[in-house]
Amino acid sequence: MSRQVTQPEKVRTDLIQTELPTPRSGGSRLRTAAFGLGATALLASCASDAPQDTWAPEGKYAQDIHNLQWPIFMIAGIVGVIVFGVVLFVVIKFKDRGQPIPEQGHGNALIEYVFIAIPALLLAGIAVPTVAEVISLNDTDNADCVINVTGQQWWWEYDYPVDASNNICGFAPTGDAAPIVTSGQMVIPVGAKVVIRGTSRDVIHSFWVPKLNGKRDMVPGRVHTWNFEAEQPGIYAGQCAEFCGLSHANMRMEIVALDDADFQAWIDNQLEPYQSPEAGTLAATGEQTFISQCSRCHQIDGLTNADGELVVASPEQFVWSGAAPNLTNLMTRNTFAGASWDLLTEDCRADVWEAPPAEFGAKYLEGVTKSCLNEIDLKEWLRNAPAKKPMYTDPESLADTDGKTRGMPYLALSEDQINELVAYLIERK
Amino acid sequence: MALIERPAPAEAPAVATPSSSFGVFRRPVESTGWKSWLFTIDHKKLGIMYGAAALFFFLVGGFEALLIRLQLAGPNGTILSADKYNQMFTMHATTMVFLFVMPMAAAFANYFVPLQIGARDVAFPRINAFGFWCFIGGAIFINTSWLLGGAADGGWFMYAPNSSVPFSPTHGIDFWGLGLQITGIASLTGAINLIVTVINMRAPGMSLMKMPIFTWMILVVQFLLLFAIPVITVALFLLMFQRNFDATFFTVEAGADPLLWQHLFWIFGHPEVYILILPSFGIVSEVLPVFSKKPLFGYPLVVFSGAAIGFVGWGVWAHHMFASGLGPISVAVFSVATMAIAIPTGVKIVNWTMTLWGGKLSFTTAMMFSIGLIIEFTIGGLSGVTHAVAPSDTQQTDTYYIVAHFHYVLFGGAILGIFSGLYYWWPKMFGKLLSERLGKWNFWTMIVGMNLAFGPMHIIGLQGQPRRMYVWTDARAGEGFFNLGFWNLISSIGAFILGIGVLLFFINVFVSSRKKERAPLDPWDARSLEWMTTSPPKEHNFDVIPTVGHLDEFFHRKYEDRGEGDHHDFHQVATAEEIMAEQEANADQHIHLPSPSYWPLLLAFSLPVMGYGLIFNLLLVPVGAAIALASMFGWSLEPHTASPADYDPPTPQGGAELEVSTNG
Repeated sequence: MSRQVTQPEKVRTDLIQTELPTPRSGGSRLRTAAFGLGATALLASCASDAPQDTWAPEGKYAQDIHNLQWPIFMIAGIVGVIVFGVVLFVVIKFKDRGQPIPEQGHGNALIEYVFIAIPALLLAGIAVPTVAEVISLNDTDNADCVINVTGQQWWWEYDYPVDASNNICGFAPTGDAAPIVTSGQMVIPVGAKVVIRGTSRDVIHSFWVPKLNGKRDMVPGRVHTWNFEAEQPGIYAGQCAEFCGLSHANMRMEIVALDDADFQAWIDNQLEPYQSPEAGTLAATGEQTFISQCSRCHQIDGLTNADGELVVASPEQFVWSGAAPNLTNLMTRNTFAGASWDLLTEDCRADVWEAPPAEFGAKYLEGVTKSCLNEIDLKEWLRNAPAKKPMYTDPESLADTDGKTRGMPYLALSEDQINELVAYLIERK
Repeated sequence: MALIERPAPAEAPAVATPSSSFGVFRRPVESTGWKSWLFTIDHKKLGIMYGAAALFFFLVGGFEALLIRLQLAGPNGTILSADKYNQMFTMHATTMVFLFVMPMAAAFANYFVPLQIGARDVAFPRINAFGFWCFIGGAIFINTSWLLGGAADGGWFMYAPNSSVPFSPTHGIDFWGLGLQITGIASLTGAINLIVTVINMRAPGMSLMKMPIFTWMILVVQFLLLFAIPVITVALFLLMFQRNFDATFFTVEAGADPLLWQHLFWIFGHPEVYILILPSFGIVSEVLPVFSKKPLFGYPLVVFSGAAIGFVGWGVWAHHMFASGLGPISVAVFSVATMAIAIPTGVKIVNWTMTLWGGKLSFTTAMMFSIGLIIEFTIGGLSGVTHAVAPSDTQQTDTYYIVAHFHYVLFGGAILGIFSGLYYWWPKMFGKLLSERLGKWNFWTMIVGMNLAFGPMHIIGLQGQPRRMYVWTDARAGEGFFNLGFWNLISSIGAFILGIGVLLFFINVFVSSRKKERAPLDPWDARSLEWMTTSPPKEHNFDVIPTVGHLDEFFHRKYEDRGEGDHHDFHQVATAEEIMAEQEANADQHIHLPSPSYWPLLLAFSLPVMGYGLIFNLLLVPVGAAIALASMFGWSLEPHTASPADYDPPTPQGGAELEVSTNG
């Protein structure tokens, strides 16, 4: 398969480097490493910036796991230190210094029983809270909000069903209720027990947003449920954790938590009727290009063709998994292509991702504005998607999938078509 | 002097079975030269060939690992494409597990189990040769996939349905499945052979509880293999039919549940972990007593804990599936069972430490690798306990934290044990000592390398980097002290230091092979029977089959306790040379060993032929089957020992050897 084209990323890397200190020298790396060995013991208390840090819970379930795991890490650490200490002592103390040949004894029953009893008791002590936590983590009853999650190579789809009382995710839409279908970023209300019902359309994937909960595999033919609850508004990074083929590394997701008012606004915005671009604009041409080039697979709800008929995508005819992301409100999300690339430029992205909880909702709901659009990655994607993200789209490799692709193929779009599409897509929010 | 004699013609069962089967080829009888290796059925030669091949594949797997670490040293690596990367980690694991650690254990088992129990060979020498050639055939078969369209790309766990044709259209997985099927035959035949050998062929006086601990651990492993290999065999057959004959075992649309594969794979895969580690536990349990000048502390408990691990090891497979949606009851049960297995494992750590306690420790390279194992394996064991806790595992599974864990267990456990065994037994196998000076460099470079390579993976994993990703990105790396960028780089540097450490071993082998100086007969003042013969041992192992009275028989022949009551006072009463001289003086007069044979090699050769046939052209399958059938007939009809007519020139009525033997 072809390699990723990284040129535009290089451009961005240069930008970053002008802002950050120059790379550390070898010497300081060594010092950092030496410091690191000592500081590893402080793993529990050290805050860190990695967005998928499993030791920095920000929601109920991750916190429950963390409350269970850190004492166990502590116990393991203490046992380890004792073993190392004893071995070190023995190695120094009983070194051959010409002492006589020791007694050829075969053991000591008391010592042996004691050292069976100690680990047995320790482990029994660990087992009890473990079993309790296993059962509580798997309790997916009494949901405040239910979202259907479907994995496929290599992106996640979220489908918000309308329940019997016409609510979506526990909220009553201001207008008419209809299912919301989105992808990449799953938006949830803060403080609610959100239960996902997950499955897969092709191979096994695993849904994992570490700051909110552990992972749960999504298996084709099975429906697995899993809980999420966020304490604060914000954006929580995740990554498919079960190896799912070629672009496993490029299958990410985010959970976006909004407070109630913002979540209500999000739902209402998602359900707003489709608006065609103003006639005569570049975006209007883009709409036609979208219909001719993209709408075979990608659904935009409410889009009509020249005859006024609804345009309905049929990805099942072209894609092996049978699905492609719904783009109705693409620019309300800020990542694309399996959440692997940003729709926001570097600065705008930081502005949203690093916003304090109180300001986050408003910034997220702005969506992608023209000035914030990361055109480089988006255009590169439209120019040649499989060159950017490894996918099975080469016609020669499709004999075993009835000619259907796994992922988005190369479409041979002209630069004009790409510009039209970008102009059209930027209005999709 | 003892002799391996050919039976006098009158004794040969020449009437009952044709002497030269089918009369196509002369039966190989050479005892020197390449033919003596190619057609050998001597457990020692097979052991050495197992070891050499395994070490070769260790280098191959290591090379694959270095490419992986090069790719991951920085963000958005471009050394490997996504496709090649997926093949690389699949083959790295496959190579290290099936083509290095398992055959390396087979090497030690083949070479030393007969010697440790005072036997002249294994129970079924030709099956032994057949097993070895199956391993070679399967290993080469799997690796030819690199040149024939690409290697397997589904991970060594090969989860369905990602292993089905639509998701992996190249032949890589076909090569993988069929190749492992062939190496599986090697493991299965080897298991039966060694079980029968240990049960039936121990020296007089050697009760099971006087058997050396290494042999005990190998026995446990063979029982694990005997029951685990059939499970993976079934799974691989399902996979073959799924891919090659349109079966629907894993086709979800046809009603299949992909978790079936996971259960089958891990019911094999978890005992497999103990198959990999227990031989090294055995080695360490030999090495520590020798260099502490003390018997193994709590020998019966070490034996029973090994057996307990073997049993409980069957009840923990689903801890590989805590995130797969088994339901809370299953998860809770397997979580607790997994904690339970930590107890017998902990027993071993305690017993090893207590073996050192009060000893007279000499820090040879072999000893250092064994002590290294205690430390590094303990780290792996403790991180194992953290993900026996299933809720905690839902955060850790499929991240680099798990990669760190099993590298501490398998490198820090299995491989350090293997190196300890190599340094300890090298003079026995080749009659020359490996350099202790280079050995210490070898040890420390490997220890520093492995801790730098695998230690940071704990951090990387807890910081949320999943496994099996061909790139990682700055967007998920963070900027704090635990940022992924720095620790991935450290890990890659560590991998290369580790690579240098491994190279030092091969340099040591080269240097020692150039030395003229022979190793002393008993360089370590050892305790068990394999040291009570020449180095390397004679073809028939022992001039006299020893009668065993003690667990550490050789030690007790050398030392006498002159103390009274609780006071002990050991004095050397005999040297190894004196014991050897006495044996040679009283050597057995008539020793019968089976002759070499080419049928095992030919039968093993037929299997990859059928394998290529299944992949490329079904017409090759009957060709391979015909070779197999002919080989089985030839093998069945072949007499135990070669007829005089097979010698060149033929020795019609008793050759020189026979004459000598009648003389005495």
